Amino acid sequence: MTTGPGSKKTAQSPTPKKSAVTVKWARRLEVGREVLRNPLTVIGLTIIFLFLMMAVFAPLLVEPNQPDPYQSPRDWSNIDSPPGVAGHVLGTDSTGGDVLYGIIWGSRLSLQLSVTVVLFTLVFGTMVGSIAAMRGGRIDNLLMRIVDVFLSIPELIFALAIAAVLGPSFSNIILALAAVFWVKYARIIRGEIIKVKQADYVAAARVVGDSTWNIYRKDVLPNAATPLIVQATLDMGNVVLIGATLSFIGLAQAGLTEWGALVSAGQSGLLAGEWWVSTFAGLAIVLWALAFNLVGDGLRDVLDPKTEGR
Amino acid sequence: MSQDWLLKVENLSVRFQSRGGDAHAVEGVSFEIQRGETLALVGETGCGKSVTARSILRLVPEPPGKYVAGSIKLNVEGKGVVDILSASTKEVMAIRGERISMIFQDPGKALNPSLTVGSQLAEVFGQHRGEMILESAGIDPSKASRAEKRVAKQRASFVQLRFFHLTRRSKAAALQKSIDDAVARSLADTGIPNPRKIMKSYPHELSGGMKQRVMIAQALACDPDLLIADEPTTALDVTIQARILELIQDMQKRRGMAVLYITHDLSIVREFADRIAVMYAGHIVETGPAQEVLANPQHPYTTGLLGAIPHRRTPRGQLAAIPGSVPHLIDPPDQCHFASRCQWAAEACRGHVPQLHTIQPNRKVACFRFGESESPSVAKADMPIPAEISGEARR
Repeated sequence: MTTGPGSKKTAQSPTPKKSAVTVKWARRLEVGREVLRNPLTVIGLTIIFLFLMMAVFAPLLVEPNQPDPYQSPRDWSNIDSPPGVAGHVLGTDSTGGDVLYGIIWGSRLSLQLSVTVVLFTLVFGTMVGSIAAMRGGRIDNLLMRIVDVFLSIPELIFALAIAAVLGPSFSNIILALAAVFWVKYARIIRGEIIKVKQADYVAAARVVGDSTWNIYRKDVLPNAATPLIVQATLDMGNVVLIGATLSFIGLAQAGLTEWGALVSAGQSGLLAGEWWVSTFAGLAIVLWALAFNLVGDGLRDVLDPKTEGR
Repeated sequence: MSQDWLLKVENLSVRFQSRGGDAHAVEGVSFEIQRGETLALVGETGCGKSVTARSILRLVPEPPGKYVAGSIKLNVEGKGVVDILSASTKEVMAIRGERISMIFQDPGKALNPSLTVGSQLAEVFGQHRGEMILESAGIDPSKASRAEKRVAKQRASFVQLRFFHLTRRSKAAALQKSIDDAVARSLADTGIPNPRKIMKSYPHELSGGMKQRVMIAQALACDPDLLIADEPTTALDVTIQARILELIQDMQKRRGMAVLYITHDLSIVREFADRIAVMYAGHIVETGPAQEVLANPQHPYTTGLLGAIPHRRTPRGQLAAIPGSVPHLIDPPDQCHFASRCQWAAEACRGHVPQLHTIQPNRKVACFRFGESESPSVAKADMPIPAEISGEARR
């Protein structure tokens, strides 16, 4: 790692002409520059960027299937054909579905899954954790016991159970993951807020007569939120990993262009030497998870050097 | 003069619930602060001086803290007396910052690290001086739009002002300027050079002394009647300590406010305090004019405290200390808390907690043995070190 805890460079004192807004952005730019100093983070960001482009421009890359673009077009004359045969760059699966098509349109589903789940869990978890920490006492106890119950069940098994109860569909996978992932955020933000609340600047804000809401908004949350940013980035990868696991075992609709479902579709052919379906789809999952983990770790090194190396 | 009291703490008791029982952090503490006066609350770590100070602003977290008894009365000019302990949250919030303000021990921890110094100060002005800011921007406060009021209150950035609140360009600029001016003025008041530049810095870009000046500017932004300084110089370099204290004294004289120092540094007391209250294990054990108490301590704890100051004539390697340690504050026995460490302790001292009684017009002491033949006031002649210190104080 080229950036370590020691490389905490402060922003140059701004010239008097700059407004406060510019100062703020100058500082954010500084953080950004520091993040980019780590080559692994840059690799991660590049992969994420490529996936994003893939998801956004999917209809331009491959002709969308009618009526449902999230079902691969079936080429029944070319079943299980290896990469490169008959215009199928990455080959086809046992039902004639194009693997490349599945990966490209699957990136849209992955993006949808991770963004929805992370946004929801981040907001909901932060709300629960903040209420617990700011209120304290009985409410804190109650909320944290609920969180403990959620945490006591392994997240994969819990998500699996919820998704299984709701029935096989992609939106149910999203629901299941959202129901499982928020607890982490509640835990993290609660711990951070309790730490920040002890700070003298919170007492100082109370001394000048600030309201609790204002103190939370301006003094507590901004200083407690850093670990959340790191966790959210890491979860962008984790969510797709667990989502793929769920669709791998058949909790998404049949034939969906989801990476986990693709791996599952290809596994029967693995022993027969038809390696391409599972490998390419699996590679997409690995790259996605890896990229967000690299960026998350890089962010942690810059924003939160103390927790480096778990 | 007795009519002109500003703050009257009467019989204040604060306890903290803990697993082993209630910790009696402050027990039956009473004192008064006159307008413009400087009182020093002196004592060692854990004696309850900070809890007393924070109680005045109702900053003690409840629970685990609990105000068991007593009252803290604030004499608000033109508005009569308010009891801070029984006041509503709204009243307390109005008192904080407006009437009573506080600066903290470690300026490094007392400023929000994620906001610029300027925006933190601006918030204080917005909170209490929104109308002033509107007026100096040329906007009639009674006619100001909601957006403008909001801006004056929170100091939205120029971009937000223009596009989010849809304020006219000239108005936005005027508001911005009026807020910046107020902040710069308050920073300049504390002797910060180049305030316009400092305003745009984050706390971590400033030195400790600079941060303490910013803290002082923030605390004094709204002209409080009382400033509580909780060990204001403990975290600072020795070279800066004197300057910060002089700054506080200077501000005090200019504004006629009262200052309550919380400290264990007796040199501060000697130089800056009018009166002194010595605390031990949650009780005030001695009060009186600072010079008199330092020159002629009556309570054995005060004597010991003064004796513990190293002096240039103290032989190397010999630091005086009071034997023993502070008693446990959880469910303390009904006796003089200092009895276990006191060389003059007698039967009576182990029977009750001694009350403060007046020994001279301005002086009070809580000791059963005061006035007896073997009492510390007589014995003090045998203690050369405090005597030397008192000699220095007179100089």
